[in-house]
Amino acid sequence: MKVKVDKTLVASVVLHVLVLGWTMVSFSTRALEMAPEDSVPVDVVSPDQLAHIMAGMKTGKKENPKPLVDKIAEAKPVDDAVGKISEKAPPVVNETAPPPQPKIEEKPVEKKPDPPKVVEKPKEEPKPVEKKPDPVKPDPIAEAIKKEEKKPPPKPVAVKPPEPAKPKIVERHYDQTQIAALLDKRDPTRQAATGDTLNSNAALGTSKGAAADNSATWGAMFKQQVERCWKKPYGGIEAQRSEAVFNIRLKRDGSLEGMPVPEGTPSTPYLRVYQESALRAIIECQPYKLPAAFFEEWKYFAPVFTEQKT
Amino acid sequence: MTEKNGLPNMPFRLNRRQIISGMAALGAVAGSRNALAQKRIIVPEGEFTPLPIAIPNFVAGTPGDAEVGVGVSQVITNNLKRSGLFAPIDQAAFIERISNIDAAPQFQSWKTINAQALVTGRMTRQGDGRLKAEFRLWDVNTAQQLTGQQYFTSPEYWRRIAHIISDQIYERLTGEKGYFDSRVVFVDETGPKERRVKRLAMMDQDGANVRYLTKGSDLVLTPRFSPSTQEITYMEFGQGDPRVYLFNIETGQREIVGNFPGMSFSPRFSPDGQRVIMSLQQGGNSNLFVMDLRSKTTTRLTDTPAIDTSPSYAPDGSKICFESDRGGKPQIYVMPATGGAAQRISFGEGSYSTPVWSPRGDYIAFTKQGGGQFAIGIMKTDGSGERILTAGFHNEGPTFAPNGRVLMFFREPGGGGGPSLFTIDISGRNELRVPTPGFASDPAWSPLLS
Repeated sequence: MKVKVDKTLVASVVLHVLVLGWTMVSFSTRALEMAPEDSVPVDVVSPDQLAHIMAGMKTGKKENPKPLVDKIAEAKPVDDAVGKISEKAPPVVNETAPPPQPKIEEKPVEKKPDPPKVVEKPKEEPKPVEKKPDPVKPDPIAEAIKKEEKKPPPKPVAVKPPEPAKPKIVERHYDQTQIAALLDKRDPTRQAATGDTLNSNAALGTSKGAAADNSATWGAMFKQQVERCWKKPYGGIEAQRSEAVFNIRLKRDGSLEGMPVPEGTPSTPYLRVYQESALRAIIECQPYKLPAAFFEEWKYFAPVFTEQKT
Repeated sequence: MTEKNGLPNMPFRLNRRQIISGMAALGAVAGSRNALAQKRIIVPEGEFTPLPIAIPNFVAGTPGDAEVGVGVSQVITNNLKRSGLFAPIDQAAFIERISNIDAAPQFQSWKTINAQALVTGRMTRQGDGRLKAEFRLWDVNTAQQLTGQQYFTSPEYWRRIAHIISDQIYERLTGEKGYFDSRVVFVDETGPKERRVKRLAMMDQDGANVRYLTKGSDLVLTPRFSPSTQEITYMEFGQGDPRVYLFNIETGQREIVGNFPGMSFSPRFSPDGQRVIMSLQQGGNSNLFVMDLRSKTTTRLTDTPAIDTSPSYAPDGSKICFESDRGGKPQIYVMPATGGAAQRISFGEGSYSTPVWSPRGDYIAFTKQGGGQFAIGIMKTDGSGERILTAGFHNEGPTFAPNGRVLMFFREPGGGGGPSLFTIDISGRNELRVPTPGFASDPAWSPLLS
């Protein structure tokens, strides 16, 4: 009696074992458990990066119980330096393949929004019509989009685009003082995003979860205060690897809600003394003056007293 | 067969994208632990600061014990202050007056004066004439007792009780063994430089209770304690060649170690106290020998055409460090305690002498001569990590405290003055002069007495 085993089943089992085995080994290493680096707030963040950080995860809750930002005033309307900027927003003109595509690929169409061209009205009108076939061929992405929408490109294009363009172009005027805005071709909606409309979903955030990390600010304030009370014990010239970690809960007034809870049991008399000295410092230095705005962050955290140079 | 037929229609394949997304899902689960953990704030900058400690006078159990109560607290205060690791608070600043050590102190009043630790104690004369000493060490901020002990002793040993309590406090608050309940033997020097009288003397580590062990008629050098602290070995220039002697502190008896044809010098006990290692002169050279004190048998350890001297055992007795000029200049060598190949461990500029192994086993202290100066330094037992702790006109003869944290040595300022004893932390901090009745040199620190 031969037992016939299907090869694909065997392959499937082997593959599972390999994959699971590999994940067990690799995810059990300490290296992967390292805490992600703290993000430090910086001034320059590109819209793409910001969007990425704030994007959230698909598994995050969709509903938004309360606004993430306290509304302190009405969001400022975007100062539309040049009338044309608001025009760019509605890219709804999907049906007309030519208008959106030229931005990337076609040189002649790019000229359209340029203010200097305001004078050359007649030139612009004929262009889209002439170029219709050109953009479709070189751009495969555009082609794909078109196919999905299954709309015949040539017919509507001929009539629609020129009509809405006319009246607005007339309103434009060249203002020398706002030349920076003229050169800035980014989507203006980035300005409106600074209010309560930003990330309206209470998403779980990225895997680093650092979107609301202000610990660099209040952490430095905490360090400065607790160091004043810390009478570090003398560990000789070789005791360079001491570390004491506590979990502490603070009230709004900066005082301790309860006794700090040390993490782990010290293994040597010196480490015990080291831990006790840190505990004394935490207790003696309360209440801590920390920014009330970040209370949610510092109401529960873990100070790490360490000799290890970082 | 049916399975075989059915499967080809439903091939199970994992493409790369599926595998990666599976991994990502697992990774998200693994990473969620970190994401949920609270923020960790690193506090790395703390500088060492002496611990503020309040030591009120010990309460008198009977009216006649007030004086000893004051004395004990003063000795403890002095010990802890001299260690450099504590900052005793002036008693004038105290708010609470301790009258009963069995009740918890009012911690707030000690917090107010920034005390982090508080010592309360009581001295009581017992009916049998003995003295009872009790003390409690409190953590002011956590309002907890860290340690507490009671001792009974003869009234004349109240200073030792104070040293023992000091050691308890030191150990509980630093995590290191103390060194206060120990003695120092040294060479006391009196008289003008040309006719200097050198006597063997012994005192508590803080300079109190000085006792003279020899009369000063003969020159004495390099005294060393036995591990039992009951005996001292030293070199004495008598009528003939200098000899190594054993001196019993309790009985006052002394005897010559061995009967060798030439000069014997630089003696030191083995860690078990059963042997004495020393140098014996042989012509223009000297070699190391070890003598078993029970069987009186002598074993040669080195045989070189050079001067091998100042041997010192590692605390486990397995190795010896010594000084030798076999390479040209005096340098430090390490070899097995039974003899054999010696390895040079000092390679700096100048010459190295008087090596001594730390009771902790981690460092070797030495005298270094070079650049017109004598320096006291330490290095690891493999010769790495050399640190010069102090340097000057003449510093020599380091000896370790029982806990290996402090060194004592003697210093001559030059000119008409004589030598004095100093202590220094092995980090180079807290250099202090040790009070002695006259000039003093060649100190040797005893092990802990208890």
